This record gives sequence, C-alpha cells and structure tokens, in this order.
Amino acid sequence: MKEWVIETSALSKRYKGRYAVSNLNLKIGKGEIYGFLGPNGAGKTTTIRMLLGLIKPSSGAIQLFGQPLHKHKLSILRKVGSLVEYPSYYGHLSATDNLEAIRRIIDAPKERIGEVLRIVGLSKEAKRPVKGFSLGMKQRLGIAGALLGNPELLILDEPTNGLDPAGILEIRELIKSMPREFGITVLISSHLLSEVELMANKVGIIRQGELVFQDTLESLQQQARGSISLRVSEAERAMVLLDGIGVDSSLAGELLQLDSTDDAVVSKAVKELVMAGHAVYRAEERRKSLEELFLRIVGEGQG
Amino acid sequence: MGLLASERLKLVRSPIWLLVLVSPILALTAGFLSSLDDVAPEARYLILQSSVFTVHAILLLPILTGIFASFVCRFEHSGGGWKSMLSLPVSRTGLYAAKFITVALLLAVTQLLTLVSLIISVKFQGIEGGMDWGAAISATVSGWVACLPLAALQLWASIGWSSFAAPLAINVAFTLPNMLVVNSERFSPFYPWAQPSLAMLSSGGGSMDFGGFTLPLVNILGTVLVSFVVFLCGGLMHMRRKEI
Ligand SMILES: Nc1ncnc2c1ncn2[C@@H]1O[C@H](COP(=O)(O)OP(=O)(O)O)[C@@H](O)[C@H]1O
Ligand SMILES: [Mg+2]
Repeated sequence: MKEWVIETSALSKRYKGRYAVSNLNLKIGKGEIYGFLGPNGAGKTTTIRMLLGLIKPSSGAIQLFGQPLHKHKLSILRKVGSLVEYPSYYGHLSATDNLEAIRRIIDAPKERIGEVLRIVGLSKEAKRPVKGFSLGMKQRLGIAGALLGNPELLILDEPTNGLDPAGILEIRELIKSMPREFGITVLISSHLLSEVELMANKVGIIRQGELVFQDTLESLQQQARGSISLRVSEAERAMVLLDGIGVDSSLAGELLQLDSTDDAVVSKAVKELVMAGHAVYRAEERRKSLEELFLRIVGEGQG
Repeated sequence: MGLLASERLKLVRSPIWLLVLVSPILALTAGFLSSLDDVAPEARYLILQSSVFTVHAILLLPILTGIFASFVCRFEHSGGGWKSMLSLPVSRTGLYAAKFITVALLLAVTQLLTLVSLIISVKFQGIEGGMDWGAAISATVSGWVACLPLAALQLWASIGWSSFAAPLAINVAFTLPNMLVVNSERFSPFYPWAQPSLAMLSSGGGSMDFGGFTLPLVNILGTVLVSFVVFLCGGLMHMRRKEI
C-alpha cells in the first residue's frame, strides 16, 4: 500500500453557509511534487490553512504522515515547513536574525541558518535588514525559513506570486531540487498551470472548492494530447474497417477521429483505408494545449 | 522558552526601548522640579514619592501597557505573521503566554527604571533619612501587579483586532478619564485603566488622600486579581479559537 504524506477525506470548510472547500480527498505520496492548481478563490489557501491547523475544518479528516492532524498537531508540524500566501518577516531584522527568531522556536542547530541561506542563495545578503529586500528575496527567505527545521514535507502557497520570470525560474529550480537532494515531499499551489507543469509530477485541480482532477502530470498530458481527424469519402464504412484492424476511432460529423496520434497507427490506418478504396481527402491533427485543457477543466460549471 | 527567546530577539533592535525610557525620564524630571521647602521634613519623602510617581501611574503606565501589548503583536499583524508563527510547532497557549510574559517583563523594566528615578530624586533633593524602601518597593511592585489585568485586556484586544493602532486608540481614550475616575472610590477599583494608579499611589500619608486612593491596597489587589484572571482567560480562549 502506498504511504501517503498528506491524505484528506471529505475535507470541507464552510463560511456562512458557503463552501470554500468541499469534500476534498487529497492524496499526496512521499517524494512527490504535488501541484495544487486552481483559479483565484478556488479554495487553495483555505485547504492549506486547514492542513497546517491554522483553521479547523467544518467536516472531514486530515492525516499527515499517517496520523490525524488534530491529535498530533505539534509533532506533525515539526516535520512540516510552510509558506502561506506571502512571506512574513521582521523588517528591522537581518535575514540571519529573521531565521534565528524561527530557529529559537523550533530548536534547530545554529549552523542550519547558514545552510538554508546558501540553499536559497541569500548568503551574501544575510546581514542586511530584510525591509530592503526585493519581493523575490523575501520569498526566498520565506522558503529558507520553511526549510530551517529540515522538514519532510514542504507546503508552499503560491510561492511565485508577484515574482518576475527570473524569480519564478529560481524558485522553480529550488523546488525541483527538494525531493532529489533532500527527499522532501512538496505541495505547491498555483493558479497557473504553466508554473507547475515544469516541476510537478502529480497534479490536483480544485475548482470552486471541489477537487476535479487528481492524477499524475502524464495523465493530464495524455488527456491534453490531440487527436487526428480524417476526412474520407465514406466515414461510417471507414470506421467499421478501422475497427476491424484494431484502430479505435469515432465519428464527429463528417469527420473520422482517431484517438491515437501515434505515427505508426496513423500511417497504418491511412494505408488500409486507401487500399480498401476509400478516398482520404485530409488528415489533420487537432491539438489541445495543456493550458486549454486546464482552462476547460476549471471553466466547467461556471456561469 | 524558545518562544520567549524569539520574542526577545524581535524586540532587541526595536524602538520599544525608547518608550521604556520615556516615563522614567519624566518621573525624574518631576522629582527634580518638586519643591519641598514648605513641607514638614518628616513628610517630605512620601510627598516626593507621590510626585515622582503620579503622572507615571495615572497616565503613562496604562498607556505604555497598551503600547507594549500592541507592540508584541505588531510583527504578527503585519504580513501574515500569525500564520507563519502558528504553522511552527508551537501551541497557541504557549505563544499567548510568551506574548503576555514579554509585556509583563517590559512593564517590570519600566517600573524598575521609575524606581531608579525615585532613588535619584531622593538623593538630589537631599531627603533626610533617605529612601523609605518599604513604601517605594511596595508601590513599584503593586503598580506592576495592577498593570497585569490591563495588559491581559489589551493583549486580548490586540490579538482580536488584527490592527496595531485600534487597540491603542481605545486604550488612550480610556486612560484619559483616569483623573476623574480615581475620585470615585466605588467605581475606580473596577476600572482597569485606573488600577495601576490606585495600587501605586495608595500608600497613604502622601498627597493622595481622596477617592479611590483611600482604599486599602489589599482590596485593590483583590479586584486586580479577579479581573486579571477574567481577562487572561478571555484572551487565551480567543487565541485558541482564532481562525488564522
Ligand atoms: N475567512 C473567510 N470568510 C469568508 N470567506 C472566506 C474566508 N476565507 C476564504 N473565504 C472564501 O473562500 C474561497 C476560497 O478562498 P481561498 O482559499 O483564499 O482561495 P485561493 O487560495 O484558491 O485563491 C473564496 O471564495 C473566499 O472568498
Ligand atoms: Mg490563495
């Protein structure tokens, strides 16, 4: 059986009769980078606040590391590093002192401060007061703080919000290295698929508080892959013929749609059709981008 | 303990220390400026003590209590600090206790420095027989104790309000009527903003022989204890339920 680092069952949060999160069944395995996607207001932050015990669920259960969160909150949080919405910092203190304020609470070794500053690339700025930092630097400092306690699970809520492309790239590289170099499981939320698809291996999509997709990134890419449409003289007979040689297809009006875009399958289908006397007028690929698919998934059921 | 050490670090390079100095310096000024020539020599010490302590106890101490309570929450209010604090493995009760103890310690430092101002004033005025340590220490300590309910109340407001300024404004607005409130011996002991002054100035024999100041210190401290428990529990319960 798979070992889930995060598992929620029927997790819901209601605000004044309206569900901000409803019936969520998240499953996040060890070592995964889980991209938690959804448009603004979908319920990502609300979910993450529940995962960290900052707010109480209206109903449902949360298990982290196989243990119920409400029973073992402190021992669980010891293994979690997080950054929710935007990094908080003490502007009058240096980066080192900001981390020291956290270190004194979680009782990490002193050397760890230098280590995490190096990991996020802030060693040179360690002594400067944080109020002079750029947003990207503050964000990296926030991640450094999350890493301070050597967490097994890192929860980052929209960590690239408000960053420029270079900053986004930096954070992405940083996050990608986490499971590889430190064996950390990562949950990262975002409202942009493009941001997550380059680092996540698992994706959960939340829309209006409900989880509408949860699977590997490949499976999402599979769904996004296009199809081949053929315009032939007699579509219905052609479909029967293709069925006979084991090529799945469907009718879309006048067009015959092949489910596979595999070169060998397409060439075989065309060859068989031509040999059986069908005229093939046109063969074209219909491609949905991942982004289109995402937009369609999150757009469904709206307005 | 880690929590307290962390709170201390946040305060180290902050302007709070200037505020701690304000009241003792004013107290010292009052001590230097008081004119004791018309006073019988045996009454001089107590008169001097009450003139050093009066403005501090009636006005500045309650206001400082509110400022300290707001100040220790300031970092958490700005930029989602509560969230990052409570995402760490800390209990809410522990964090609340750390905040409260920090406020209490800041007040203790203020009281101690005000006592130093009194000592210097006594030297400066050349009071015969020097310090009356019993009266001085009793006033300083009871003044501190009587601040604690207000500290708990203000901390409750600061945690609940998610704002630095609002609880402060309320605090000042409730402190200013102190001058009137202390005249009422029935009402003043229950007024958290007046409690510090009643406790600190009630030592008898000084110039404060009216209204709430004539009440026995024990009565005042009894009321203080009850209100302290009420406000502390209220704030703690709020903290434990708060949605972050
Ligand atoms: N404290 C609150 N009271 C009422 N509604 C809230 C509260 N917090 C969040 N919501 C609502 O819950 C929904 C989800 O919000 P949020 O989790 O912040 O979304 P996301 O992080 O995905 O952008 C939004 O419609 C928001 O208005
Ligand atoms: Mg959000």
